[in-house]
Amino acid sequence: MTFVLRMVWRETRASWARLLFFFLCAALGVAAIVVLRSVVQNVRITLTREARSLVGADIVLQAPRPWSDDARGRIAAGIAGVVVRARTEVVETQTMVRAAIDPNAPVKLIELRGVEAGFPFYGAIELSDGKQYTHHLVRNHGLVVHEDLLADLGLQVGDALAIAGETFEIRASFTRDRVQQATGLQLGPRVYIDLADLRATTLLARGSRAAHEILLRVDEPDIDATTTRLRHLLRNDVASVRSWMTLEDRLGRNLTLAENYLSLVGFAMVVLGGLGVWSVTRVLVQEKVRSVAILKCLGASARAILAIYVLQVLLMAAAASGMGVGLAAIAAGAIPPDVIKPLGVSSVTITASAAAQGASVGLLVSLLFAVVPLLDMRRVKPLRLLRADVGAEATRRRDWAGWLIGAAVGALLVGVAAWQANSLRAGLYVTAGLAAVGLLLALASRIVVRLVAPLAASRQFAIRHAVLGLSRPGNQTRVILMAVGLGAFFVLTVRALQVNLLADLDEQLGSNLPDLVLVDVQPDQLSGVQAALGAHARRPPSLNPHLRARIVAVNGRRQALADLDAVRKVGPLAREFALTYRDALEPNERVVAGQFWSGRQTSVASAEDADAEVSMAEDLRDDAKLDLGDVITFDIAGRRLRARVTSLRNVAWGNEQNGGFVFVLRPSAAVEALPQNFLAFVQLQDGSSSRNAVQRALVSAYPNVTIIDVRDIIGRLREVVDNVALGVTIVGLVTLVSGTLILIGAVAMTRFQRLYESAIYRTLGASTRRVVMLVAVEYGVLGFGAGAVGAVGALALSWTLARFLFDLTWRPATGLLLGGLAATTLLVMVVGVVISLDVVIRKPLSTLRGEA
Amino acid sequence: MIDLVDVSRTVPSGAGPLTILHPTSLSIARGRVVAITGASGSGKSTLLGLIAGLDAPTSGRIVIDGTDITAISEDALARLRGEKIGIIFQFFHLLPSLTAFENVLVPMEIAGVADAAARANQLLAEVGLQARGHHYPSQLSGGEQQRVAIARALSNDPAIVLADEPTGNLDSTTGRQVIDLLVNVSRQRGRTLLLVTHDPALADVADDQVQLRDGRIVS
Repeated sequence: MTFVLRMVWRETRASWARLLFFFLCAALGVAAIVVLRSVVQNVRITLTREARSLVGADIVLQAPRPWSDDARGRIAAGIAGVVVRARTEVVETQTMVRAAIDPNAPVKLIELRGVEAGFPFYGAIELSDGKQYTHHLVRNHGLVVHEDLLADLGLQVGDALAIAGETFEIRASFTRDRVQQATGLQLGPRVYIDLADLRATTLLARGSRAAHEILLRVDEPDIDATTTRLRHLLRNDVASVRSWMTLEDRLGRNLTLAENYLSLVGFAMVVLGGLGVWSVTRVLVQEKVRSVAILKCLGASARAILAIYVLQVLLMAAAASGMGVGLAAIAAGAIPPDVIKPLGVSSVTITASAAAQGASVGLLVSLLFAVVPLLDMRRVKPLRLLRADVGAEATRRRDWAGWLIGAAVGALLVGVAAWQANSLRAGLYVTAGLAAVGLLLALASRIVVRLVAPLAASRQFAIRHAVLGLSRPGNQTRVILMAVGLGAFFVLTVRALQVNLLADLDEQLGSNLPDLVLVDVQPDQLSGVQAALGAHARRPPSLNPHLRARIVAVNGRRQALADLDAVRKVGPLAREFALTYRDALEPNERVVAGQFWSGRQTSVASAEDADAEVSMAEDLRDDAKLDLGDVITFDIAGRRLRARVTSLRNVAWGNEQNGGFVFVLRPSAAVEALPQNFLAFVQLQDGSSSRNAVQRALVSAYPNVTIIDVRDIIGRLREVVDNVALGVTIVGLVTLVSGTLILIGAVAMTRFQRLYESAIYRTLGASTRRVVMLVAVEYGVLGFGAGAVGAVGALALSWTLARFLFDLTWRPATGLLLGGLAATTLLVMVVGVVISLDVVIRKPLSTLRGEA
Repeated sequence: MIDLVDVSRTVPSGAGPLTILHPTSLSIARGRVVAITGASGSGKSTLLGLIAGLDAPTSGRIVIDGTDITAISEDALARLRGEKIGIIFQFFHLLPSLTAFENVLVPMEIAGVADAAARANQLLAEVGLQARGHHYPSQLSGGEQQRVAIARALSNDPAIVLADEPTGNLDSTTGRQVIDLLVNVSRQRGRTLLLVTHDPALADVADDQVQLRDGRIVS
């Protein structure tokens, strides 16, 4: 053992710098795992600590409609016997506001939250002036608004806002309200108002969109049982009951999932680093063949020799993992607070468990990738010290033990991936995916080498020898093509996809997409709204009746949704649907079965008369097993409507201009008499003055109508696309850096071979310039190959994703891909020449005398 | 000490099996200095490789100090070499990442010898290189490298020393010095020395000569 340890020290002393370079690639992957896991764990620690504040109460009951007396009775029964420490109600809705002082001031969509005294039970509304929030601030027409709103409208505390035709005073602004985090997309800044004042406005008129909540504070031991009881009692209402504990569970589950999947990104990078480790170990084994033979001659056993090099690899991998953790600490410290603020944390500290996981993965993957090439050392015959041709004879035999260990290494890699994803299936998929990408890249590399092979007959010295160099024995061509190609592939795919997504957004903006969507237009407001739009509209607005319905029976069979399980079984039918009625198809629809009606249905005067006609999106046929001829009974705000499915439509959801409805009813007197409001899609004359004027006019006349500025939303979507693309690009760039490190390492590892060749060329009369040209052409060809592999891969994957995942019209992003190809060629060429420069300028004699 | 009984070696080649050593029997007594001579390709190095256990014979038995080395495993062979056989090569074959001192040390470390460092220094002194112990092979001349190789071959005090063209890569003066050193040290210690050479002048220093031609012993 002492001998083994001493040899490890001696071997490491001689080549640690060269070897560690390769292990740096693994260090980058380790750093990625540690940073990603730490970010998620930091978020989890903060969120779990604040779960109660996020829910704002111990138990929250929420419904899309005002609580009926019947429902209130059941709630009372549910909490009977439980000590309710406090109870309060909250109503949330959206509306448009403007400065009260100026009827022509710009308007803004806000999230309005009506609260009572006692709110919030937990959490805090952090006021900009540092003072404590109290209900007095909102009582009697007061408002507490998010400071973004003040900035957006150019207002300050003390100014007044017009909401639903009434004037409210802004009494304070807040920077952050860590209370009841809204789920889904928040459309505007939040404003707090007294619930009594909100109820006195017209905003909560029948049919308006609002969330009605009852918040309860109960003793901790009662929370679970009370939540379960209330859920049971409200099982037939469209209502949800949640507690901070369930939120904690859900957050915990989601975050664990996020952490595990993000770690797979890091794992993929460690595997790329592993590729570098594999490559360096292969070269190491080639270099050490003579030393191994000598050691065997001197009496060392194959096991002892293998132990020396495995321990050396372990030492390097441990150093690299340590470096990875260090890099992660530096990277975590360098994350700008603005980037992680939306996640609810202000800084990221490396957690011990993330560091331990990252380091273990780095160590394991490095070792696994090194073991297979190291196994070749067992087969080195000491006889080769006497006869050089012995190696070839020995490698001809099949090495079953090697194959077995290779298979075990593969299985262990799946194990590490499964451990990272916390799912065997995900582990299998990721490893299989990586193996497939690796195989494809290896195949592509082989094709590239084959394609340039004819250039070996070129009349140009540099081209001829550069191409010959690519197929030199023991060369790193395939490793460089794979590593750099993979990096280029990642970056180019993401960028190509981003180009496609943004171009699609632009196309939608330039097409028939509405500028404004008006929600909740009441039937009696239709003519008024049309008049208000007047000359501002480019064409008459498209008005779509909008009915909210639940399916209560199919073919007379009642949908009994007694509990959560029943809802799950019914699946897609359990939700609330938006219905409309019209007598024509939209451009994004086509009938795939049955026949779409023409004209009104005159036979149905009232809902009880006969079955109405309904056309259904074909998606539901597969999802819910509904089909042509089925009779569906809808409950629309307490009114029943039976409708027979007479046609199935294919709806291009990504292209919907007038909403896109799953169910479309045939117009009839009965249908038109149902409770409904209208959605209006408005296209305006060009220019922002038109948009502001229309919004102002509508807000003052119809405060209940919510106006969604589509351009605003698209702008926000564009930001989301940009941010996601930036995130993925960073991962891609880190991969490219890994690839470049592997490239630098690979060039450095083959330096000795190149040194000798260069010395021979120069002895034979080649000038330094000619040798530099030769190196430049060789790496230029390699870089072009890697860039081509990346660009073609990006072309294929961006097409697949655009076509099947995002449903976009694919654009090849030719300029981007050509730019990427040129950049990759240049990168590899420059790195190759710079790293080989000392080889080229060294005096040939010292090399030939073996002093190198 | 060394007994070869009907030992032959055949290797595959493009034109069919090629016999590089025809069935050969040979016996070498303890303490003898034996020169194996012959032209290039006569089978000298093959014979040496077989005696060192670096290669396995196609047929026959090789017995070293009572052990039939054709019947033992690779690791047992390695152990046997570590304990009983020291080998010197034409191309020195020192470990390039180790200093001269460490190169001499390695066989003793493998065998677990207690006072290895002192003995390594003593051996380096014997070959006249005490002052160069901290130098790497690339910093030594050919003659110096071969002297380190001799010190290394003697480090475990082996009963048998095998030398394959030890002067083949040296000039004649240095070659002569190396051979004198090798033969003197072997005789002083009473070791069996097998010297492969194609130089008749060098072979003359041996007690016995075995001449090979086309894989057969001719004298």
